[in-house]
Amino acid sequence: MKTGVYLCACGGTITEKVNFEKVAADLGKNPEVAYVHTAEFLCSEEGKQFLEQDLTEHRPERVVIAACSPREIEGVFMQVMERVGLNPYFLQIANIREHVAWITPDPERATAKASALVRGAVARVGLHQPLERKELDVCRDVVVVGAGPAGLKAALCLAEAGRKVVLVEKTPVLGGMPVRYEELFPNMECGPCLLEPVMGEVLHGEHAHNIEILTLSEVVEVKGYYGNFAVTIKQAPRYVDTVKCVGCGECIAACPAATKNEFNYGLDERKAISLPFAGSLPNVPFLAFDACLRAHGEDCQLCRAACPVEGAVRYDDSAKLLERSAGAIVVAVGSDLYDCTRLPALGYGSVSGVYTSLEFERLLARNGPTGGELRLPDGTPPKSVAIVHCVGSLDEHHQPYCSGVCCNYAFKFNHLVRKQLPESRIHHLYKELVTPGKEEFALCRHAGHDPQTSFWRYGDIADLQVAAEDGHHTIRYRDTAGTSGQIEADMVILCPAMVGPESAGRLSAVLDTPPDQFGFFQELHGKLDAAQSKVRGIYLAGACQSPMDIRGAIGQGIAAAGYVLSGLAEGRKLTIDPITAAVNELACSGCRVCGSVCPYKAISFPPDKQVASVNALLCHGCGTCGAACPAAAIQAHHFASPQIFAEMEAILQ
Amino acid sequence: MTEPMTLAATEAASPGPFEPKIVAFLCNWCSYAGADKAGAAQIPCPDNVRVIRIMCSGRVEPEFVLQAFRLGADGVLILACHAGDCHYKEGNYRAIQRHRLLLQMLEQFGIDQQRCRLDFVAASEGEKYVRVLTETVEAIRTLGPLGLGPPEAAAAPGPV
Repeated sequence: MKTGVYLCACGGTITEKVNFEKVAADLGKNPEVAYVHTAEFLCSEEGKQFLEQDLTEHRPERVVIAACSPREIEGVFMQVMERVGLNPYFLQIANIREHVAWITPDPERATAKASALVRGAVARVGLHQPLERKELDVCRDVVVVGAGPAGLKAALCLAEAGRKVVLVEKTPVLGGMPVRYEELFPNMECGPCLLEPVMGEVLHGEHAHNIEILTLSEVVEVKGYYGNFAVTIKQAPRYVDTVKCVGCGECIAACPAATKNEFNYGLDERKAISLPFAGSLPNVPFLAFDACLRAHGEDCQLCRAACPVEGAVRYDDSAKLLERSAGAIVVAVGSDLYDCTRLPALGYGSVSGVYTSLEFERLLARNGPTGGELRLPDGTPPKSVAIVHCVGSLDEHHQPYCSGVCCNYAFKFNHLVRKQLPESRIHHLYKELVTPGKEEFALCRHAGHDPQTSFWRYGDIADLQVAAEDGHHTIRYRDTAGTSGQIEADMVILCPAMVGPESAGRLSAVLDTPPDQFGFFQELHGKLDAAQSKVRGIYLAGACQSPMDIRGAIGQGIAAAGYVLSGLAEGRKLTIDPITAAVNELACSGCRVCGSVCPYKAISFPPDKQVASVNALLCHGCGTCGAACPAAAIQAHHFASPQIFAEMEAILQ
Repeated sequence: MTEPMTLAATEAASPGPFEPKIVAFLCNWCSYAGADKAGAAQIPCPDNVRVIRIMCSGRVEPEFVLQAFRLGADGVLILACHAGDCHYKEGNYRAIQRHRLLLQMLEQFGIDQQRCRLDFVAASEGEKYVRVLTETVEAIRTLGPLGLGPPEAAAAPGPV
């Protein structure tokens, strides 16, 4: 093998300790080495020019560069090799700066060590394979799952960039949870006011033609991989044509059947054909067939008869399976609240007048079950309200973490209750008070200065007990000092931990992205790549990844769109890095050990072959599978065992 | 446990301090960066350790370690990311698992477990890198040469 060796003096910082003449003399005895050339600053513009000319002149089969850390410089010299038509993977860097000259005080020892490392690089590079970056045609369309703030923003960003987006929403309406809130912390803007402009853009804006909205829909199957997903979506019947309907509401007025309104958590009723709440978008009613008289054998046609548009109400609508292609998928399905019935002493579900924070949001909302008026079940306004923080949070028996959002909305509740009921008493029972954010603390301070608001710190939520006696509630508590007492409260609001979405199990199985230990979708990296899942091409946005507020969710929606736009860029094919694992099918017994250790689900076992198959697009090249394979049937490209052994043998000589 | 004292070992022990040969496998993202950091800070470091860069500590096959001993290494270091920091999520956990099993096997071969050390060096831990190297060199200097060379036997690649 004709190997060209370049020794870089790094302006003398290497040659101060390493004697290049001796290193070159040692290498001269090596039959693999065609020549040894030295340079003062190989990474400088002049140095790179010299390298380019020298490589063109001598045409070595392999190149070793002894210089600084490959982490710094490998990419630069690979580009030079590419420019002169040499395979860039025929290069090996020997790190004689950080690993030799700069840490070895004795020049003789430094020289000996440098010789050994260069010897190792020469031995290894002879076994380097001519790896090629592969290019793949990709689909640039995107499926966004979930039409809350994160999903809406992701969809809109992508559509504005000219991408076709399929926005898949489980419910009949857009906007997710915050659209159901009367006001939002910290600035008390109304939830619908915040989101309606975004929804308006998605529905009717300049780029709306790029967005296909599928409500009442769920992703049921995903095949393929980054760049080429095939997504199957199941859409439940709406029984109302979203194109023909003009949103006049005549059908709703005519409907004789009623059912509990799940959008208000069963706190009121709605018609079988209805909008979930006033102002919900799209402004098209939907028919809950289970509640419709037609489901109970009656031939009621009142809604269709009332409809002024021919064919807008369609009793023959049925569930559909839709196929869509996408290069990437954004998961933005939001979160759920911790199940408060798991803390039975708090009375949720057994004592009337105990509400979760989401239920209370609806009680506060003007389009909610009471028109925004705070009323007890008997119709009177509460004289006292208790807000219990940290329900199921910061507790090893429940969820160990703090959701970081609840205290902020609890003080928003404080503000709204005070505004509506100036005489009422408000009690906050909390384990910890956490109000992150540069503006959020104002609400907390406001509550703290209110003479009619009191704070009670408990150590263990098991020390709280809610009981109803003669129509009003008492909360027995024990505070952190061990003092027990009793608080009167007509209405109790529980602020539960945010938990992974109920649908996470099903959807993560479909997407093959396992949830984390708390049931949220697991991110690739908590800081660097929180908006990416561990599966390439599947991105995460919003509270499905971690508890977060609206600002965080919207930020992640934009981040996910950014990943898609930079990863699946217009006019560019997808490049596959060749440093991946490869299977020798003849040696593979199909034991599946490799698949079990792969952190990226890059290894599959196609039923027709029964041997491992590596998807180079999903493989990150860590090589763990190669180490695990009992038959050495998987090799890690560029870090193959023979290459490592050759390097090892040479450096130990 | 005791190791057989070979002729080479007794010879090497007599003339001066024995200089062990140590192969270190460093993961690209944390430990190799930590070693670079030691270099950038110009912290003096024993020259006995020869570094082989791999992408992830999870890549280290037990075979690598055994082969290093066969080729004349007196000690092997595997440096990984700290728990929870692995660039590839969990490669360092695989390294821990394999290392534990490997130590049992080394013991059966009569190789002192101190000759194969697994440790964790973050990208910022240049000083720790030098400390781990220095400790390892000293430990193996005390143990003396392993004396499994010469390379004739090892030159022919063994069953893989």
